[in-house]
Amino acid sequence: MTSALGKGFGETRWLLSVFAAVLIAAWPDTAGAQEAPALRAHHFTLGGGAVWSGGYDIGERTAQLRGNAAGAEAPPFTLFTSDSRITPAASPELRVGFAVTRLVALEFGLTMSQPHVEVAIAGDAEAPRQLLSGEKLEQYLFGGNVTWQLPLEINKRLAPFASGGVAFLRQLHEDRTLAETGQIYHAGGGARYFLKGGYGTDRLFGLRGEARVNLRRNGIDFENKMRIYPTLSLSVFIGL
Amino acid sequence: MTRVGAATLAVVLTLGSSSPLAYLKLGAIVNGRVVDATWQQQPIGYFISEHPGNGVTPMDLLGAAERATATWSGVESARVRFAFQGMTAAPAEGIDGKTVLGFIDRPDLDRVLAATSFMIDTTTGEIAEADIFFNSRFAFSVAPNGQAERVDLESVVLHELGHLLGLGHSAIGETERSSGGNRRVVGSGSIMFPIAMTAGATADRVLQADDVAGISDLYPGPSTLDSGGIVGRVTKNGQGVMGAHVVAFNPETGILVGNFTLNAAGDFVIARLPAGPYILRAEPIDDAEPDSFFPSAIDTDFRVTYAPRMVVAPRGGSSAPIEIRVLPK
Repeated sequence: MTSALGKGFGETRWLLSVFAAVLIAAWPDTAGAQEAPALRAHHFTLGGGAVWSGGYDIGERTAQLRGNAAGAEAPPFTLFTSDSRITPAASPELRVGFAVTRLVALEFGLTMSQPHVEVAIAGDAEAPRQLLSGEKLEQYLFGGNVTWQLPLEINKRLAPFASGGVAFLRQLHEDRTLAETGQIYHAGGGARYFLKGGYGTDRLFGLRGEARVNLRRNGIDFENKMRIYPTLSLSVFIGL
Repeated sequence: MTRVGAATLAVVLTLGSSSPLAYLKLGAIVNGRVVDATWQQQPIGYFISEHPGNGVTPMDLLGAAERATATWSGVESARVRFAFQGMTAAPAEGIDGKTVLGFIDRPDLDRVLAATSFMIDTTTGEIAEADIFFNSRFAFSVAPNGQAERVDLESVVLHELGHLLGLGHSAIGETERSSGGNRRVVGSGSIMFPIAMTAGATADRVLQADDVAGISDLYPGPSTLDSGGIVGRVTKNGQGVMGAHVVAFNPETGILVGNFTLNAAGDFVIARLPAGPYILRAEPIDDAEPDSFFPSAIDTDFRVTYAPRMVVAPRGGSSAPIEIRVLPK
């Protein structure tokens, strides 16, 4: 299982690096003191794009048999161990935003993804170590987010922001036979790149990228622990 | 009522190698169909034989029986009740209209600790009478913490009462061969494993998840509506495997519940599982004699194999069928 986990987190680091590179590339050398673009206060935006969610562990458990020795307690016999995780997944995302001010916006988003539950089996005296990766989940996230545009005047098209929010998580096991729910608390940051608008009353159109650190509570987890995983999103937005 | 005595239908708890019939649930053939053999009248009345055992008295057996019946009756997801009817001079064998638990000296059964025999109504599958004998050839103990060199009587009573209720043997267990060729249990996931634990061990006074699932399947209580089942098939080279042991493991609760493929198509059902996802492991029966579970030949020529994915036992229903493809050894 160590190798499988290592691969997952390695993939996460690689994607974060690419994302950071894209953001840095969007910073032109000519950045100087000029007014940054921003949303139109009291107006809505619509957005759509894709989200990549990193994988995370959901628990390790040992299948044990009752041991045989004199008395009531004997060391258990290990049949095998299982180490489970949710795999990374990409998903579409829909987002509605409302600019409370030019710098602060409320956003409501919905995503649907289909990660797998991957189980590494080890410690079985009669079978080799192996990875079971077949169960596909249906995972829905619906939540709210606040973005605060950072008071940085970097570029006439680029507006970085910090964000934080909470989302409701619903996970359906394969065949939709059992559902589990949870909450996601997240914080992060990103940038809007205004291809059009951002000043005065022009209609807005642009790209939005964001990286988040998510704290997941409840949902499918075999140890009932809080889990941390990253998400990266890229979407287009249009002002209404 | 047509009753056919099934005195030869006996399930035994052994100290090593051995014989008899049974699998997870005992069955009776009624009108060409196999139905579960169960008690339809409860409480189940029982007598204690006045014959003493080796190192224990009939009153010791009564005490062990009261504790063991309370353990089975305490399963919340099942409806099982017993009633002690009194002491009796009748032996714990034969057809006499009484269900008797007692000691009998059977030196010919030198590896059999105890056995349960039944009389079953062949028109309904109802168990009409059952007897449990404990072999006086063995030294038993009722000491609270067990006693070296003596077999814990309460553990054996609990196992045999499982048979009396209609449960067969469970195969959730691992054994090792001793130098003398006998098997020694190194671990078990059910008190219905056919081979007893070491003398002095008392851990099998407590039911395990597999036992609870089995008794809840035979005598479902109200809370079993929240349970679910897993169905599937074990195949080898495209053909069904008869007699494969399939164990469901819940990685959240740690429970293990098993059952067998019971036909040539390799179909299996694991019922009365707490709802949730399970890892499935199919194995050949190689930790006890196959005839401890099946009266006919079964396939043991395949490797331990896991289902390719976790399978969910849904609340109040069954999973979609899963196929576990095993390879020859």
